[in-house]
Amino acid sequence: MNAPEFIQLRVKRQDNPTSKPYWEDIKIPYKPNMNVVSVLMEFRKNPINTKGEKIDPIVWECNCLEEVCGACTMLINGVPRQSCSALIDKIYEKYGSDKPIVLAPLTKFPVVRDLMIDRQIMFDNLRKVKAWVQVDGSWDIGRGPRMADRVHEWAYPISRCMTCGCCMESCPNVNSKSNFIGPNTIAQVHMFNAHPIGEMQKEKRLDALMGPGGIQECGNAQNCKRVCPKGINLTMSIAAVNRQVNKRALQRMFDK
Amino acid sequence: MSSAKKSSFYIRRIHSLVGLLPIGIFMIVHFLINSTVFINGNESYLAAVNFMKTTPGVIFLEVGLIAIPLLFHAIYGLYVVYVAHNNALQYKYYRNWAFYLQRITAILTTIFIVIHVWTLRLAVHDSQMVIQTLVGWLQNPVTLAFYIIGYLAAVYHFGNGLFTFLITWGVAKGDRAQKVLSIICFCVFLALAVWGGGLLYSLAQITF
Ligand code: SF4
Ligand code: SF4
Ligand code: FES
Repeated sequence: MNAPEFIQLRVKRQDNPTSKPYWEDIKIPYKPNMNVVSVLMEFRKNPINTKGEKIDPIVWECNCLEEVCGACTMLINGVPRQSCSALIDKIYEKYGSDKPIVLAPLTKFPVVRDLMIDRQIMFDNLRKVKAWVQVDGSWDIGRGPRMADRVHEWAYPISRCMTCGCCMESCPNVNSKSNFIGPNTIAQVHMFNAHPIGEMQKEKRLDALMGPGGIQECGNAQNCKRVCPKGINLTMSIAAVNRQVNKRALQRMFDK
Repeated sequence: MSSAKKSSFYIRRIHSLVGLLPIGIFMIVHFLINSTVFINGNESYLAAVNFMKTTPGVIFLEVGLIAIPLLFHAIYGLYVVYVAHNNALQYKYYRNWAFYLQRITAILTTIFIVIHVWTLRLAVHDSQMVIQTLVGWLQNPVTLAFYIIGYLAAVYHFGNGLFTFLITWGVAKGDRAQKVLSIICFCVFLALAVWGGGLLYSLAQITF
């Protein structure tokens, strides 16, 4: 790859949650080993766009800078991924260094400003399905049995979910017409239902997943698994939880 | 946000179920009955059509096992089509194309079945007239193309639907299971496509 003189970006901006989006072209001098976040940081030191106008620095979100918090997720050349781990040199290897890198906010979440989006819906969804191990109560539950290795083996990867929203972004059934809870939440149910103590809330989780916008809204496009940066086997979890909810439906019909 | 405050869980599960049973199974029975044309053309086919039409109580089967499930599957299915925000051009994965095709074939199959049922079941009743009408459609290149698109859409929708059925009902869980079953379902589609093609070909050869 020939090192270009500048790193050029085309950024989809939006001044506030309700205003119209527009495109902004910016560039900074090329340096090796940068990532999208470091480019944006560099740019805000001297925010002048390619037309030479002084502009407001571009707003985005990031925390961990090591692909574990999910906050910096955006569309980079149309692909939902974390901007902190999006290496410029790698992007150039794939797309060529002559074209600007296109940044846009995720489309399935409300835009706060520029590339910053509001992921609250995913946290609300996790709350709906009680995606935690409930130990607080009137008495001590104790430690519970250990998780078997064979369970741990598939459950651990699910715990690496960072609620980044890539799977939601790629899912054709997550959109403004639907209230689908999304694949990541289903995988969390799969994991917490397998936990020896988490299992105590299993029915409640399944009931929530059978509710409005629940697992039934999945149409098996399986994009979610393909885009997950943590390599979580979402489609396996969806099928596994399908088994659980079907059984639960029978229980609800015949157990009382 | 969807206006649906109530859960669609049961209606979705029923939608998935009736797609296979009775609708998918009916399609195969339908192909089997059509296959009498392979024996000796019009003669055996006419006998089969006559037999179906004169079986007592067949109307109850037609309404209860075919018309009602089919109407439900089609009408609720159109809503399912409407709810998706297709993105196959952005995420060009095989399964995503299948998801998109499942929705396109849903619409094509619905149009095809409405016309097919109207022209051959509701508009004409005499068995020989039914066969003549059908053969007439198959001997005209434009309407033949309509039939080819229609049956291919239907059998694709069935094959792919069978695979998603297996996920929805929790059968195909692991990666290997999903892969093997998706190949098997694709073979079901191919087999039905060849079978249906053979049927159309033989039916178009009928002379009176
Ligand atoms: S499942 Fe994967 S893509 Fe989805 S939110 Fe979790 S880490 Fe992100
Ligand atoms: S498999 Fe289900 S959850 Fe995953 S992208 Fe497809 S429709 Fe969405
Ligand atoms: S900043 Fe945490 S994932 Fe990128």
